[in-house]
Amino acid sequence: MPILDELKAAIAKRLPELDVVIGWGKGFDALHHTPVFITSEADLDKLVLGPLSVQNLATYLTRYPKTKKIGVVVKGCDSRSVVQLLQEKLINRENVVVFGFPCEGVVDLEKVKRAFEDQGMEAARVSEASFQGDRCTLTSGGKAGSLPMADLWADKCNRCQYHDAVISDEFVGQRLERKAEDAYADVAAFEAKPLAERQAFWQEQMSRCIRCYACRNACPLCVCRDQCIAQTREPNWVSQRTGVEEKFMFQMIHASHLAGRCTECGECERACPVGIPILLLKRKNNKEILELFDYRAGIDPEAKPPLLAFKVEEEKINERGW
Amino acid sequence: MTTMMNPYLPEIATVLEVIQETPNIKTFRVVLNNKDRMAKFKYEPGQVGQLSVFGVGEATFVINSPPTRMEYLQFSVMLTGEVTSMLHTLSPGDQVGVRAPLGNWFPYESMKGKNIVFVGGGIGMAPLRTLLLFMLDNRKDYKNISLLYGARSPEDMAFKYDLPDWSTRKDMTTVLTIDREAPGWEHKVGLIPNVLLEMNPSPKKTVAITCGPPIMIKFTLQALKKLGFEDDQIVTTLEKRMKCGVGICGRCNIGTKYVCVDGPVFTYAQLKELPNEL
Amino acid sequence: MSAKYLAQGDLSAWLGALAQGRRVLVPVRENGAVVFRPYGPGTKPVLTRQADSPPKESVFPSTERLMEFSYSKDAENLGKVALDIKETVNAPATVVFGGRPCDARGFTVFDRVYDTKTIRDPYYAERRASTLFVTLACDTPETTCFCNSVGSSPVDADGSDVLLTPVDGGWLVEAVSERGKALLDAPALKDATAAAQDQAKAAKEAAEAAMPPAWDAAPAAAKLLEKFDDMGFWDDVSAKCISCGACTYLCPTCYCFTVTDERSGMKGERIRTWDTCMSFQFTLEASGHNPRPTKAHRLKNRVGHKFSYYPDIHKGPIACCGCGRCIKLCPVSVDIREIVRLAMELPTATAGKP
Repeated sequence: MPILDELKAAIAKRLPELDVVIGWGKGFDALHHTPVFITSEADLDKLVLGPLSVQNLATYLTRYPKTKKIGVVVKGCDSRSVVQLLQEKLINRENVVVFGFPCEGVVDLEKVKRAFEDQGMEAARVSEASFQGDRCTLTSGGKAGSLPMADLWADKCNRCQYHDAVISDEFVGQRLERKAEDAYADVAAFEAKPLAERQAFWQEQMSRCIRCYACRNACPLCVCRDQCIAQTREPNWVSQRTGVEEKFMFQMIHASHLAGRCTECGECERACPVGIPILLLKRKNNKEILELFDYRAGIDPEAKPPLLAFKVEEEKINERGW
Repeated sequence: MTTMMNPYLPEIATVLEVIQETPNIKTFRVVLNNKDRMAKFKYEPGQVGQLSVFGVGEATFVINSPPTRMEYLQFSVMLTGEVTSMLHTLSPGDQVGVRAPLGNWFPYESMKGKNIVFVGGGIGMAPLRTLLLFMLDNRKDYKNISLLYGARSPEDMAFKYDLPDWSTRKDMTTVLTIDREAPGWEHKVGLIPNVLLEMNPSPKKTVAITCGPPIMIKFTLQALKKLGFEDDQIVTTLEKRMKCGVGICGRCNIGTKYVCVDGPVFTYAQLKELPNEL
Repeated sequence: MSAKYLAQGDLSAWLGALAQGRRVLVPVRENGAVVFRPYGPGTKPVLTRQADSPPKESVFPSTERLMEFSYSKDAENLGKVALDIKETVNAPATVVFGGRPCDARGFTVFDRVYDTKTIRDPYYAERRASTLFVTLACDTPETTCFCNSVGSSPVDADGSDVLLTPVDGGWLVEAVSERGKALLDAPALKDATAAAQDQAKAAKEAAEAAMPPAWDAAPAAAKLLEKFDDMGFWDDVSAKCISCGACTYLCPTCYCFTVTDERSGMKGERIRTWDTCMSFQFTLEASGHNPRPTKAHRLKNRVGHKFSYYPDIHKGPIACCGCGRCIKLCPVSVDIREIVRLAMELPTATAGKP
């Protein structure tokens, strides 16, 4: 049975006990999926699954009262957000039903756009798209083109260590049990650049920011949202000026609040409408966390996130050595 | 001076006097520094102004002194947020910004020759004070004037300096009430809507003007309906978060109506026409 | 003035000429996103697709200083502090080059609010007067384009000063406003041949024909008001919304703002910055009460304002230019077309006012 049908069956089975199940459905064009909210068996027809199922649906979990019974379909990376939310007691385990599946990866739509642009095709004018095996075929403006999926996977998928959800109540399909390496080579490469170059890079990137806070609101773990310090006047810590300083200040706050919590789903970066590579900031933090605490967020529901715990003697932090 | 002024630019004004009305309400009497503009300053009862503390921001308050008494402009400020906290630190001589007048006003022309019932609760007495004093200064234009003013406790009653006059004047009836018994209180005890029903004003050729906290307004409207008031005989004034004050910035609208320019004064009949987003 | 012709090879010559004594904003690519940036020698404008950010900043900057203020202590009496404020209107001469018809038309929605018989916002009005739009007509729609459903078209000149239409080897250049004519007096522009004019005419017709079928958005005005209290409807259509402000900040017609003070020591400034009705903080009152407490209330305001309140107040025009950015760039693909259509099609649940 195709995985999608198995998924529908699994959801149908659990639906009676749930208020809603969040999955993906067809979006506004052939290159977009969009979150769908399933409350009846009839809604199951809306479900789709594939390389366009980019959104991390775990971000909706904290938008419901903790008492609601929510089902959520997760990719491997999304499942880590669920675990982290459980670790922080932001959701109730008994009120969340997790539907996992073996995730081959999702595309980076920016890469799709650029790769097809190089073939003289506009992804924004797509009429048909298909993902068969290792090829992506697109029809746009009467022209058809094909590209290897290898060129289109999101960066996070190329380094993915968790194709199969790390937590699930219903898992459909065969586990992939694949694991790529992730030694934070991108962060290391960036860090190797001279300070002036790094500064200039962020100056240019952040100057594009429109302060829409899509990065914050797409993040499954950025849970202050309505009360975010970025927009409050009491306290008034971040000015409403839209200079690079203020924008970068917000990103620093955002990244700091996610240190040791960020599960690297990359939604912040994907949600950014002007293509600012802000996941890099969070990966820098995670690299440090991994080195210091040998910890990756959102893997073990029972683990204590290192920055939410206290040890008198940290193994790798020399606190009293001077 | 250009024909159309910069609508965002406040006039600088000086605080003349600060009155501690209640534990959390202070009244500020201010005059515009530009004497000529102060002399020519025109507004109508019920219109609001934006008070600025530069460096903190602006907030909206009704001008609660009547245009018939132009020695100063009076604003009463309840301590609630960032700007009001800063306003509460001001002393006489301090400089503020004033953008006024903004918004519409009480339709006092159409109230001429009618009986007037004021029902005010807490800080909601501020807009009523403007109109009440204005009517007292034009007393012959109106028939019977009665006032029901309530607060939680005697300490929470603002405008205490007005009360002796209002309570003893022969040309108006004043009823004061507090929510619960308090030592030394010689007036009514009871919630405003209940006391209003007790007062039993006739709706005949009468206009009721009410302002107060949302819950009080809700039950006062019910009481007025019970007494036989029609929707267009009831007038109230709304509060919303405002920024520009001139119908542009987009936050104070209820559907198509902008409280800062189409309001803050609405009849109950008009309110019922608005979408439900108070 | 008759139409002109600009050869592709003469584009930078004309841009260079326009940039004499002016700021010229052109769409350029930055890390995958196309945004408007000042033109300089070597700048390569991206004219093949709609920019991700519209040129809204040109007339309505994301931060605008409204005034400066300063406090000064009286040397004789230190308790006495004087206050001075200074108006700071700033309107640099600007040409926005290479925007699309929807981008320029967005400002016509601002005009009805910012510069009227009763109110004139000098910051906006001055910038509007000092900014000209050289607009590129569209040839092929994107999947999110719907300008023809909101009273416009891919070749609409409304709000623009000069219209460029692609023809063989370059563009037909037409002045479409009085002030646009002055821009055509440039050596880089040649008189257009009759053939080029015919080609442009055909290109415009083809562009209009390429649009998806138009739907009539006018009935939405009444339908959206009718659905005001139907919170079930709004909860459903807003379910996937994550309450960010991408849709409003990327919208050429969204004009809401906030005003805040910035003080440093004895002086500071009062600034106006973009604000978004999708934010909880937008309508939050000091008392803690919020008339639009949920994302459903806020999405209702965004859609309602564009398709109902604004057309009602201004007798017709819809406050949406159909550019589709709010759909295309929404992280979760909230589709305003779908919401408006559902509002018109679905029956309204009868919910009484409490």
